[in-house]
Amino acid sequence: MGLEIMDDVRRDYIYDLVRGGRREDGRAFLDYREIKVERDIIKRAEGSARVKMGNTEVLVGVKLEPGEPFPDSPDKGVIITNAELVPLASPEFEPGPPNEDSVQLARVVDRGIRGSEAIDLDKLCIEEGEKVWIVFIDIHVLDNDGNLVDAAALGAIASLLNVRIPNERYGLDGGEETMVLSNKPVAVTMVDIGGEILVDPNYNEEKAALSGLTVISNPDGTISALQKYGNGSLSEDAVTEMVEIGIEKAGELRRTFLEP
Amino acid sequence: MYKVVIPGDFLSDDVSRAGEGTYIEGGKVYAMRYGVVDEKEEIKVVPFMGKYLPTRGDVVIGKIIEISFPYWIVDIASPYEARLHMSEVTSDNEKRIEFGSMHTYLDIDDLIVAKITNIDALMRIDLALMKEFQLGGTGRLITIPYTKVPRLIGRKGSMIKMLKEKSNCFIFVAKNGRIWIRGKEEDMKLASEVILKITTEAHTSGLTDRVANFMDSHRSRMGKGEYKVMRDERRRFRAYKRW
Amino acid sequence: MKEEGLELIKGGKRLDGRSFDELRQIRIEVGVLKRADGSCYFELGDNKVIAAVYGPREMHPRHAQDAKMAVLKYRYNMAPFSVDERKRPGPDRRSVEISKVSREALEPVIIKEYYPKTEIDVYVEILQSDAGTRTAGINAASVALADAGIPMKDLVSSVAVGKIDGEIVLDLNAVEDNYGEADMPVAMIARRNAITAIQMDGCMTRSEFEKGLKMAMNACQKIYELQRTALIERYSEM
Repeated sequence: MGLEIMDDVRRDYIYDLVRGGRREDGRAFLDYREIKVERDIIKRAEGSARVKMGNTEVLVGVKLEPGEPFPDSPDKGVIITNAELVPLASPEFEPGPPNEDSVQLARVVDRGIRGSEAIDLDKLCIEEGEKVWIVFIDIHVLDNDGNLVDAAALGAIASLLNVRIPNERYGLDGGEETMVLSNKPVAVTMVDIGGEILVDPNYNEEKAALSGLTVISNPDGTISALQKYGNGSLSEDAVTEMVEIGIEKAGELRRTFLEP
Repeated sequence: MYKVVIPGDFLSDDVSRAGEGTYIEGGKVYAMRYGVVDEKEEIKVVPFMGKYLPTRGDVVIGKIIEISFPYWIVDIASPYEARLHMSEVTSDNEKRIEFGSMHTYLDIDDLIVAKITNIDALMRIDLALMKEFQLGGTGRLITIPYTKVPRLIGRKGSMIKMLKEKSNCFIFVAKNGRIWIRGKEEDMKLASEVILKITTEAHTSGLTDRVANFMDSHRSRMGKGEYKVMRDERRRFRAYKRW
Repeated sequence: MKEEGLELIKGGKRLDGRSFDELRQIRIEVGVLKRADGSCYFELGDNKVIAAVYGPREMHPRHAQDAKMAVLKYRYNMAPFSVDERKRPGPDRRSVEISKVSREALEPVIIKEYYPKTEIDVYVEILQSDAGTRTAGINAASVALADAGIPMKDLVSSVAVGKIDGEIVLDLNAVEDNYGEADMPVAMIARRNAITAIQMDGCMTRSEFEKGLKMAMNACQKIYELQRTALIERYSEM
């Protein structure tokens, strides 16, 4: 895909389609693009996953390293989530320090995992006050055709499903040990286009929409993160409907991609 | 009695009356700015504050900030810079200005009175020099929010006329909120102070009478006025002398 | 984490004596800075926040200009002394994200076409923090933008709701935020019931979320009235 600039013509086209009940790639409003999740593809990482969501492609790698705990939680492990929008993924991405988009992406994924208590931080303590496991979740975007959040969040949980704790590498007792994942939060992002709710926006839809919302929810139907995007506004009805759709779609994704 | 509004306040059901400082949505007129309603046939909102948005035909006081042959770049107290072409200072029978000598006609920091002749789609603003306004000599430049200019001028020029008479000053008010005052030092001080008073009390009623009383009774008692965007610069229109 | 036995709700009241849907004390002052084009000081309980607006002014760098409209910029910054443990000066990831979300909360009301090619800068400084600083910042910024004479469709009002001891409550303070189960900041155009920002972290059921959203929306109406009163009273006849 070459350089694409969202011009007014393209935006009108997207809106016209939606008004006629259609989407650019022929999907129904509440359908995801085709999703592929491949797990454990990076040998050097303790956990990894590649997620393809249509043309969007995200690679997530999880590394564990012993480090110092935070002073206010001496007996708990640490989660550090980071996202890189590397220039190879889009003509709009530039090299350099994280910008607000990459920071937001990482923080939304991070909040979903934290809020759901998917990682049991108590079990990541090696020596209270001295040494704990630091879980680095690194999101590497390879191709941006929209909805990076859902792909990244799905990739993060898929990576965390089977994380080997590298006791041996750091000369620690414990042998072969797997990190327990106690919850499976799933992100579902929607945009509002002309009053219609579209799940899993592609790049053009994302650009055309004035507002969007990510809903991260858990198997028990609870919500662990929300984030609204864009320069537009949403009605109370739109937000509550999006939450409802988000919980439902999250269940579908979880059953398909995160159950053994 | 004046009425203060904030953005989004409903003003009218009649969209044909929508004037400056308002917007129309769903067949209704709303305030677009924080200010005072000016309701005649047309409904306007006169904002308390705001940056001067250049309009064709406006007469402004500009300050030369850059020379970029063949233009002088002029600050007109707006988010947009204006430009004055070098042909504006030469008459037909004069030789054209040589590259590198533009500053001998108008130099950085010189003040000019100019009319906005054109604004293009890229917000490039062209000026025409108004040579008839040769304000030479020592004076004071004051800048007030451009939104207060109509109040300073008053209905049919009543306020500014009174101000000129009672202060014994020459006062030139430009659309962009810059004001040139010339007169005796004491007189200029009074005029500046009164302009400040008008600016801060622009939205109140009975202002013209209050200003008149103030000038009569406080002629000799000068306080120190302050207004947040008011600047008082003492300077010369030296450029004009060279012609 | 919460110590055993720490109760955030006792006898139907919160630790600071508020009921579940009660806002903290709010104080608003308009036009507090001399040099800024518009400004506002906003207190929400123990939060002390100041917002300044500069512009519209010429945009730099030029290549970032938008030929059709003004560009809104927003900088949320915490003073190093605003929190118990000194905050390292300068932007961190949290403030970068808050700046983005806050800017997007305000974008829907700004009529940017009025001053093409310019920028409007909003600077929000958190002088003292007690949870809810981003919402206080948005409230202050909205008033400061109006004060600067920026063309706008309306004001934006913001507040957070959260969950403590299993109850949905309005406007968490720092203790409640630290030991609470969820936090959800909301911003809206109160008169239009239009939500311009919403974030949530923690854990809430769908019905708790819906209850919290309603609570936040009601509180935004009250905050809007206070913002409005502060602006109108500034220019009331002496």
